[in-house]
Amino acid sequence: MEKKNQTKQLRSAITLLLLLLLTLIGESQGIWLSIPTSGTKCVSEEIQSNVVVLADYYVVADEVDHHHQIHTVSLKVTSPYGNNLHQKENVTHGQFAFTSAESGTYLACFWLQNKHEQPVTVSLDWRTGISAKDWETVAKKEKIEGVQLELRKLEAAVEAIRENLIYMKHRESDMREVSEATNARVAWFSIMSLGVCILVGALQLWHLKRYFRKKKLI
Amino acid sequence: MEQTQWKRSSKMWMVLACLMMSFFSSIESLSVTVNDVECVYEYVLYEGDTVSGNFVVVDHDIFWGSDHPGIDFTVTSPAGNTVNNIKGTSGDKFQFKAPTHGMYKFCFHNPHSTPETVSFYIHVGHIPSEHDLAKDEHLDPINVKIAELREALESVTAEQKYLKARDARHRHTNESTRKRVVFYTVGEYLLLAGVSALQVIYIRRLFSKSVAYNRV
Repeated sequence: MEKKNQTKQLRSAITLLLLLLLTLIGESQGIWLSIPTSGTKCVSEEIQSNVVVLADYYVVADEVDHHHQIHTVSLKVTSPYGNNLHQKENVTHGQFAFTSAESGTYLACFWLQNKHEQPVTVSLDWRTGISAKDWETVAKKEKIEGVQLELRKLEAAVEAIRENLIYMKHRESDMREVSEATNARVAWFSIMSLGVCILVGALQLWHLKRYFRKKKLI
Repeated sequence: MEQTQWKRSSKMWMVLACLMMSFFSSIESLSVTVNDVECVYEYVLYEGDTVSGNFVVVDHDIFWGSDHPGIDFTVTSPAGNTVNNIKGTSGDKFQFKAPTHGMYKFCFHNPHSTPETVSFYIHVGHIPSEHDLAKDEHLDPINVKIAELREALESVTAEQKYLKARDARHRHTNESTRKRVVFYTVGEYLLLAGVSALQVIYIRRLFSKSVAYNRV
């Protein structure tokens, strides 16, 4: 009776572990980039200020690698003002997180330090804002799970959509101001160029008249 | 008796939570500079998943609007077939149903020598089908509805990202227009003044003493 219980427990534990593994594989997805043997490969994103950015990267093991070399890659993450947010040399995996202080283009550059014959593939899982939210801590704190947690996620997604719309509205108004200023400037500068033309012509005539009068030709 | 029941229900909830998390679809939104060919790979977990996304050519310092023919976009399935092919655009949306699961390759090809920055967004969405419902007794029909809702919200988010990238491109054009207006107009004024001064100098030279008595 006890043995049956034990085997049942063991089986359920293994299935749970397998499921966890599956979910981990499913979650640690990301885009794969091929880093060339020479030069850097950079990815960037325009991020507003006060946005949480979470990124995971690892070198993808090449199956057709006869030398069984451990490929290592170096990377550098810079803020739009040039500050170095994260820099690692010759690593196979890692992760970094930061909250954007200023809005602008955040750049993550990869390059190969040692000499490699083939380009190295790196998997980068880059999440910003709502995708970077840690749902496990939220679930534990608010003691919700299952369907409730999913609905909470959807609610957060809707909130993010609304915030994005408000941001786009601000951007549109900024751009509209620039467009209208440029429009006014084009009109003003064109009329002024006409004025400059007439002025320069008048100056020419006046100067030449004076010159010919001086030379006693008129 | 109560303890074992609680254990069983908690285990069920954990399994359910794990399964829910496994339907977490991947979202990538990044910009990459395309010199010649740039490829991005994305893994599609299940066959029949809807892969949707968009891309916009953001940074362009072209002089005339008709100069750059745009970039080409190709999607290759893990079997090697071309799933999607868009030629010569400055930005587009795409959506297709993945025929197989595996690693899909999304390639941007820049026919010109000037490097272009492309901002792209790829989303792989999975909705549990009837087959999955039948296979797994822990899945409720409510999970299907929640997944559909999530996919609908993701499509709204995708549209927003597309609009944001287009807005960035528009902003670049606006800034370029503003700079061009100022510089070209000031340059035009200076050129005008310079040309008229040269004219005056030339006419004066025509009437100068060393030349006048011979010519005019």
